[in-house]
Amino acid sequence: MYYRETGQTVKNYTEDRRMVPLREDRWIMWAFLAVLFIGVPMFANDYVLSAIFIPMMVLGIAALGLNIAVGYTGQLSLGTAGFMCFGAFTAFNLLFRVEWMNVWLAFLMSGVVAGLVGIIFGLPSLRIKGFYLLVSTLCAQFFAEWFFNAYPWFLNNSTSGVAALPPFHYRFLPYQEQIFDLFGWDKDYNAYIWRYFIALITTVLLALACKNMVRSSTGRNWMAVRDMDIAANVIGISVGKTKINAFFVSCFYCGIAGAMYSYCYIGNLDFMIFNLRRSFLIMFMVILGGLGSILGSFLGAIFVYGWPILLTRTADAVFGGGTLDTAFIENNSKIIVGTFIVVLLIYQPMGFAGLWNSVKHKLRIWPFKT
Amino acid sequence: MSNGVNGKEPHMVIENIDLAFGGTKAITDISFTVYKGEICAVIGPNGAGKSSMLNVINGVYIPQQGSITFEGKKFAKMKPHSAATMGIGRTFQNIALFSGMSVVENIMTGRNLMMKSTFIENALGIGRSKKEEILHREACEEIIEFLGLQSIRKTPVSSLSYGLQKRVELGRALAAEPKMLLLDEPIAGMNIEEKLDMACFIQEINRNRGTTIVLIEHDMGVVMDVSDHVVVMDYGAKIGDGTPEEVMSNQKVIDAYLGVSHDD
Repeated sequence: MYYRETGQTVKNYTEDRRMVPLREDRWIMWAFLAVLFIGVPMFANDYVLSAIFIPMMVLGIAALGLNIAVGYTGQLSLGTAGFMCFGAFTAFNLLFRVEWMNVWLAFLMSGVVAGLVGIIFGLPSLRIKGFYLLVSTLCAQFFAEWFFNAYPWFLNNSTSGVAALPPFHYRFLPYQEQIFDLFGWDKDYNAYIWRYFIALITTVLLALACKNMVRSSTGRNWMAVRDMDIAANVIGISVGKTKINAFFVSCFYCGIAGAMYSYCYIGNLDFMIFNLRRSFLIMFMVILGGLGSILGSFLGAIFVYGWPILLTRTADAVFGGGTLDTAFIENNSKIIVGTFIVVLLIYQPMGFAGLWNSVKHKLRIWPFKT
Repeated sequence: MSNGVNGKEPHMVIENIDLAFGGTKAITDISFTVYKGEICAVIGPNGAGKSSMLNVINGVYIPQQGSITFEGKKFAKMKPHSAATMGIGRTFQNIALFSGMSVVENIMTGRNLMMKSTFIENALGIGRSKKEEILHREACEEIIEFLGLQSIRKTPVSSLSYGLQKRVELGRALAAEPKMLLLDEPIAGMNIEEKLDMACFIQEINRNRGTTIVLIEHDMGVVMDVSDHVVVMDYGAKIGDGTPEEVMSNQKVIDAYLGVSHDD
């Protein structure tokens, strides 16, 4: 009822394969983009940008990358943070060592490098499936941690194990200096507002590209391999090539997410944060958000990242900051999150994407029930 | 109906195929010829090796011996991928649809083989991507119309009934425009109406598109009605080969498959 589908007819196949088929959904989407591009930068302060919007987008892209492998192609992977690590280091070394490099090209290259690494660690998928593949992708995780620990050159021989990302790394506009002079802006190119725009544009482009892939032959190949690989083979889909392709694209996204993690979110480079725990968190985002769903990847990221923050802040607001032990609040929020995850997955195995779909279905037929 | 076994060009010649799984022999020394444009039925009791035979033809199983000659080219073993590129389509006994996709997506997947756009073109929506998608969608819509699936084209296949799923699977195989179609029990487990529909579809595909059809079926009435050529298997060996009439009067077949007669 809230959705009036009556009268919305499609006249040709171009209209039929629109990204967002319903008019109401298109309005929501444009409004949402307007808020993200105009509203948020106008009203949000640095805390909101740095602690809420940027990490959610970065983790959303990482989750989307993992979802391409796990949700769309059915190839389990636990190397996400390792691939992110390769992406982050590629971006750092390019921007640090190459004079004419800009952020966009560096991000693209970090995706390509991580994708190529992903192909290597994805090769076992040609022979093994399921949990065994999980173990082989775990190698990527440990390999990345070892590799960047063993070769500190990639970290500019930093003794602390962390490399700073100075403002001159952030070259994201042509004639950047002149433009900043022209408008009289402060030349702290790494201000959160610029990081936010870099992250937002990358996120929107990557999400669009993913949507384009899943509604074309590429995505159908992935899903065919996921659902029934023998049948896929029999209708002429090369299962091996499809798996390798999926690993490349998946790790391409993870690599860019890694570069964004360093450049947009935390603002320094540190291989210790790309640890196994991060891989698991991203896996949870995918499972909670919904396997094989782009929207779900972002919803999962928002929830897994945002829910603990929301709980701690609520607890602070209710009980007053300082009256309760922070460790106590944190532990309790973990218990609440864990319980919520279990309950959600019992009632809605398809995660938030499934939840969203059923809400949308109810809105469509309201006031009728089924 | 075409004019039977004689006077036709062979489409596929199967020679001396032997297939064993470990010590178990599934197929022993089978040879038969499928002629162009005919409907060839492979029948036999359960466990006779019929499905294994289809799996050998399109390369899912690799035989220990023998050869398959398809359109004049001889192969010791087939690969599923090359079988598909050469024009051999296939449906499965247990439905093997892509359960996470809708009807139209399943059928479109059947045409993925013909789509040449790379994933980069697809991701950016440039080059051949869009044009191909529309072009092949049109072809798929023809199949959807032929099979009467218009009203459910956007429905996820997992929510369809068994009979409709079988129909979608036929559509998916058909989408690749195969020259030869291997159907593994296309009408098993259906009600009488669905059976008749399916039999009509099979005959129409055969007549209008000239597709050679090899089918496995247990329903004798349908087999005898639609097929031009029947191959009978029992315990992995061929025991009969010929027109439906010939096979029906073959004593070996009657003994092995239709039962030994007790009336005299």
